[in-house]
Amino acid sequence: MDLSLLNVNQAISSEESKRAVETIQFIVIRLGDEQYGIDIRHIDNIVRMQHITRVPKMPIYLKGVINLRGEVIPVISMRLKMGLAEDEFTKNTRIIVVKLEQEGNVGFLVDEVKEVVTLAVNDIEKINYNANEEMVSLINAVGKHNEELISLVDLNAISLEGN
Amino acid sequence: MDVSQYLEIFLDETREHLQNLNTQILELEADPEGEDTIKEIFRAAHSLKGMAGTMGYKRMQNLTHDMENVFTEVRNGNIKVRPDMIDVLFKCLDALEEYTDNIQTTADEGTNDNEALIKQLNNILDEKGGTAPKAAVVPEVKKAAVPEEGNRWDAIVLDDSQINVIKEAQHMGKKVYGLNVTIQESCILKAARAFLVFKAVEERGEIIVSDPSAQDVEDEKFDREFTLIILSDVDINEIIRAAESVSEIEKAEGGLIDLGKNKHYKAGNDTVPAEIPATSEPEQKETVPVAAAEPAVKPAAQAAPVKADNKKQTSGKPVVNRTVRVDIEKLDSLMNLVSELIIAKNSLVSASSQEQVGAHNSFDEQIEYLESVTTNLHESVMKVRMVPIESVVNKFPRMIRDLSKKLDKKMELYMTGEDTELDRTVVDEIGDPLMHLLRNSADHGLESAEVRAERGKPAVGSIFLDAYQEGNNVVIEVRDDGNGIDVEAVKNKAIDRGAITPEQAANMTDKEVIGLLFLPSFSTAKQVTDVSGRGVGLDVVKSKIESLSGEVEVKSTLGEGSTWIIRLPLTLAIVQALMVVVGNEKYAIPLGMIQTLEDIPPTDVKLVQNKEVINLRGTVIPLIYLNEVLDVESKKAEDESLIVVIVKKGDQLAGLVIDELIGQQEIVIKSLGKYIKQCKFISGATILGDGEIALILDANALI
Repeated sequence: MDLSLLNVNQAISSEESKRAVETIQFIVIRLGDEQYGIDIRHIDNIVRMQHITRVPKMPIYLKGVINLRGEVIPVISMRLKMGLAEDEFTKNTRIIVVKLEQEGNVGFLVDEVKEVVTLAVNDIEKINYNANEEMVSLINAVGKHNEELISLVDLNAISLEGN
Repeated sequence: MDVSQYLEIFLDETREHLQNLNTQILELEADPEGEDTIKEIFRAAHSLKGMAGTMGYKRMQNLTHDMENVFTEVRNGNIKVRPDMIDVLFKCLDALEEYTDNIQTTADEGTNDNEALIKQLNNILDEKGGTAPKAAVVPEVKKAAVPEEGNRWDAIVLDDSQINVIKEAQHMGKKVYGLNVTIQESCILKAARAFLVFKAVEERGEIIVSDPSAQDVEDEKFDREFTLIILSDVDINEIIRAAESVSEIEKAEGGLIDLGKNKHYKAGNDTVPAEIPATSEPEQKETVPVAAAEPAVKPAAQAAPVKADNKKQTSGKPVVNRTVRVDIEKLDSLMNLVSELIIAKNSLVSASSQEQVGAHNSFDEQIEYLESVTTNLHESVMKVRMVPIESVVNKFPRMIRDLSKKLDKKMELYMTGEDTELDRTVVDEIGDPLMHLLRNSADHGLESAEVRAERGKPAVGSIFLDAYQEGNNVVIEVRDDGNGIDVEAVKNKAIDRGAITPEQAANMTDKEVIGLLFLPSFSTAKQVTDVSGRGVGLDVVKSKIESLSGEVEVKSTLGEGSTWIIRLPLTLAIVQALMVVVGNEKYAIPLGMIQTLEDIPPTDVKLVQNKEVINLRGTVIPLIYLNEVLDVESKKAEDESLIVVIVKKGDQLAGLVIDELIGQQEIVIKSLGKYIKQCKFISGATILGDGEIALILDANALI
C-alpha cells in the first residue's frame, strides 16, 4: 500500500470560522401591487408563460399542466391561491418551477420576477398567528430589505394544501 | 475493501442458484438416479456455499455446507435418494431463501441457525454409516519458499519512504516478509477474495506495500496474482496458511525480504540499517519529506483505511436496486440506432442550411429517415426492458408439488411459453396473481381423488400454465381439468352474503355470476384451508391485473374444468391512441379500449330511463358526452351528427361523444405528477409533436 496515503491523515488544524450572520437568498416576485419572496434554494427553474393544458375537475387555482423539457408539471396560480383576482397574462408573466420535497416539481404563475435579494437571518421575522384569511397561512415570515417589507412564502404550506 | 458492492451480484446469483436447485431437486425426485441432475445440484450447492462464505454469511454457509455433504454422498452413491430426504432438502432451500430475503432487506442474514434442518441433514448422512467427510480440508501447509532470485516481491518498485520503513523494521527486529498470492482462475469475485486475504494477513501483521495497490486490487484491476510486503512478528508459515485458508486461493508463497535483492533497489541508497538510528526521527524526515507521519506509526495508519472500509459493510445499509440483465446484442443495436439518430440530426442541420431549390426534397427525406430511426429506437429500448416470464413461473412446479402433498391430491403442472417476454415492471407484479390462480385451481378446481375416479377422469389432475403473445398483448392462461365453477353454488353463496338478492340471482347470466367471484371477500371454498379460501385472492388478482392495464377473463364448464385468461399489455410506457378533440382541447384515448367509431345522426339518439342511448346494430349503448364530463363547451351545433367512440370495458359498451377526430398516434405516457390528485378518468398525459400536452382518458373509469 502506498505510504503517501498517509498525508490524508494530516489533521486539518483549524476549523473554518463560520460567518457571523447566516443569510438566505430570496427571489422577489410581484403579484398585483405586492411583493413576495421565495427561498431560492427551492427554485428549480423560471420559465416564460407558455400554453397551459387544463386538467378537468381540479381546484380553480390549479391552472393545468405544462411541458417543461419533456416533463409534465402542474401549474398553480399564485394569485388565485392567495385569494387575489384572476391572472392577466402579460409579457412579464413567469412560471416559477419549484421543487417540493413530496410532490416533485410544481410551477407557480406570477405576474413578474423582479430581483434576487439577500436577507440576513435576523432580518427575517416569523409570523406565528394564523388569521382567518387564507393567504396568511401561506406567508410564514416577513423580511426587511432596504426599508421595504417582503412577505416570504411558505412553500410547504402550499404543497400540503394541494393534497 | 467493501464487499457490499458485490451484494447485488451475490443476490442475483444466489437466487439463480436457488431456482436452479429447486428445479433440479424436483427432477431428482422424479428420477432419483439421474446422474447429471445430481452433479448439477452438487455444483449449484457448492457455488452457493462459496458465495455465502465470501460474503461472510456464516449461517448460510453452514447450511449449504451440510447440504453439499449430503449431495457428495449421493453423488458417490453412498446414499440413495428418498422422498423424505427430498422434503428436507426443499426445507433447506426455503431456509436459504429466507436468508437471502433477509440479506436483501437488511444486508444481514438474520439469526436463524436452522439447527433442526442441519441436524436432519446430518441424520441422513449418519444413516449411511460413515461420518460426513469434512469438505473444508485444512490446506496443506507449504514450506516457506526460500527467497531466491525471481521472487515476485523482489520485483516490486519501492519508493524511498517504503524502503525506510522496511529498514527501520528490520532494524527493530521485526520480520519483513514478501507474500505472493495467486487466485484460482475460475474465481468470479477476485476482489472479494483478495479482500479476505488482506483481512487474514492484517490479523497477523501489517501490510506495508501492495502490488498492485490496494485500490487497484479493490477495483479488481489485477490479473490473478498480487504481492504484499508484510511486517510481522509471527512466522511466515502462519501467514501463508491464513492466506491459503481463504477459498478459491490457488497458492500463497512467502519469504523474508532482502532489500539487496530487490531489482529496483538502488545500491547507492543502500544505507545499512545501522546507519539509521531508531531515535533519529528528524533526520529521517529530512530524507523522506513526503512521509509526514512517523515511520513507526505508518503500518498502523496504513491498515486504518482498510479497516474503516470493513466497518462500512456492517453499518451501511445497501440499497439493492432492481436490475435487468441485458443481452449485449440488444445494447449494441441501441448504440447503433443512437449513432444513426445523430447522423439523421446532422443531415437535418445541413439540409436546413442549404436554402437552395430542391432542398425541400432532401428535408422530407431526412424526416422520413429520422422517423424510421426513432421507431426502431423505441422498439429496441422496449426490448431492453423485456424479460422472459421464466423468472416468475419457474417457482411454480415446486409450489404445485408442495400443494399436492399438502392437499393430498395428485396433480401435475404443465407449462408452455416460459420464454414469453414482458416488461420488467409487469413481470415483477404478475407472480402473486398467477400464484393465486394456480392455488385456486389446485384447491377449488381439482376434485378429490374419489370424485375424479367417479367421473372417469385420470387420477392425476392437470393444471396448465400457457403464455403466449397475441398482437400487442401477452396472454397467460391458467387451466385445469377439475370441476369448473359451480354457478349455482356461487349464486347461493352470494345470496348468503347479501351481495345479491334471490330475484337478482334468478336474472343473472352465468357470466355475471362468475364475475361475482372477483368481489372482495368472496370465497366458495366450503372449508377454509391454508392454501386458499380466505376470501382474499380473486379480487386481489383482478385489481392487480387491472393496475397493470390488463384484464382477467374466466371460462368454465361445470364438471370439465375452468380457464382463467389474463391479458396484459406488452409495455406500459408507450401505447397507440386515438387523438380526439373536445371543445378546443385535445385528448388521447388508448386504442386498446376502443371498439369502433360511429357517426350517429342526432335523431338516432333515444331516451331510456332518462339516459341517452343509441341502438347500434341491435345493441343498446349508453352515450357519454365528453364535453360535459370534462367541463368544456362543445363546438358542435345541436343538429350536427354525433361522432361517437364506442369503448369497451369487459362486456360493457359505452359511446363517448366527441367533437372531432384527429387520428391515431403512438403516445408516450407521462405521469401527471404527485401534486395533482389523480383525477379518476385521466390516466396520465402525453406530449404531442408541437410540445403541447394532451391528457389521456381512461375510458374504464368513465363507464
